[in-house]
Amino acid sequence: MTSKVYVALRVKAPPERAFAAFVGEIGAWWRPNGLFQTTPRAPGVLAFEPGEGGRLTETLASGKVFEIGRITAWEPPARLVFSWRQANFPPDLQTEVEVRFEPVGEETRVSVEHRGFDRVPAGGAARHGFPDQALLMRLVEWWRMLLTSYGERAA
Amino acid sequence: MTAGLSSAVVYRDPKAALAWLEKAFGFELAMLLEDADGNLAHSQMEFGDSYIMVGQEWSDDHKSPSSIGGKNTQTVHIQIDSDLDAHCERARSAGAEIIAEPETQFYGDRTYRCRDPEGHIWTVSQTFKAVSREEAEAASGLKITGWR
Repeated sequence: MTSKVYVALRVKAPPERAFAAFVGEIGAWWRPNGLFQTTPRAPGVLAFEPGEGGRLTETLASGKVFEIGRITAWEPPARLVFSWRQANFPPDLQTEVEVRFEPVGEETRVSVEHRGFDRVPAGGAARHGFPDQALLMRLVEWWRMLLTSYGERAA
Repeated sequence: MTAGLSSAVVYRDPKAALAWLEKAFGFELAMLLEDADGNLAHSQMEFGDSYIMVGQEWSDDHKSPSSIGGKNTQTVHIQIDSDLDAHCERARSAGAEIIAEPETQFYGDRTYRCRDPEGHIWTVSQTFKAVSREEAEAASGLKITGWR
């Protein structure tokens, strides 16, 4: 078993548009969070390389490119799965993010499930000393904020 | 978040409740936290502009009705804007026990009342016709303040 956080909301757009905005415009709707720093540097710009095996990258101001994860399921416009790691994770640790796009009338219900964050080791930099529940609560609040920003962009 | 009210509803099996509340009432899961053992730590379901929290019996003073002989100390009310009778049938076929069949009330709403699988009582209502305070007072014999 693994921990998970789940957030969902309705987006005023059909699934095709919702999927395209999630993947193609992540650089515009993403909101970095100091607790979940991907790299020790100032936040850069995120981008997906479309298709299975494509990378999720963050391009820093210096021009350096950090690989956050890779797309492991690419099923437009219904489903997207990618891996997620931060530079301060142990080398063998991956977490997983699954995004689903379900039509509801003229809208789309978009849900994000982020699995495995409890594996971030106690005492590690990515923990900030938080026990599981506090860490997961911060993570779910951040995803809620991210989805709200994304939803405004996708509409 | 802006100011407002919400209710935290307690279940022995909150994950089963999330599935049931979606099936019966059309609530949508908006937030869920599970620990590494798959136990629900926190969840929220949305309906219209409102949400409820669905949780487990996390202390001796937080109990599902099914743990305390079916007693309820508060009930959550669902206001809908169309087809109350169809809503009732959907709840019934999901396994709700209908304890008051749909009926139009003196104040102009059509309502029904049901119990979910753990014994929580839910009331559901749809406004059918505008009723003035005088009409409602005449029909009920009650003195009514704050009518709108």
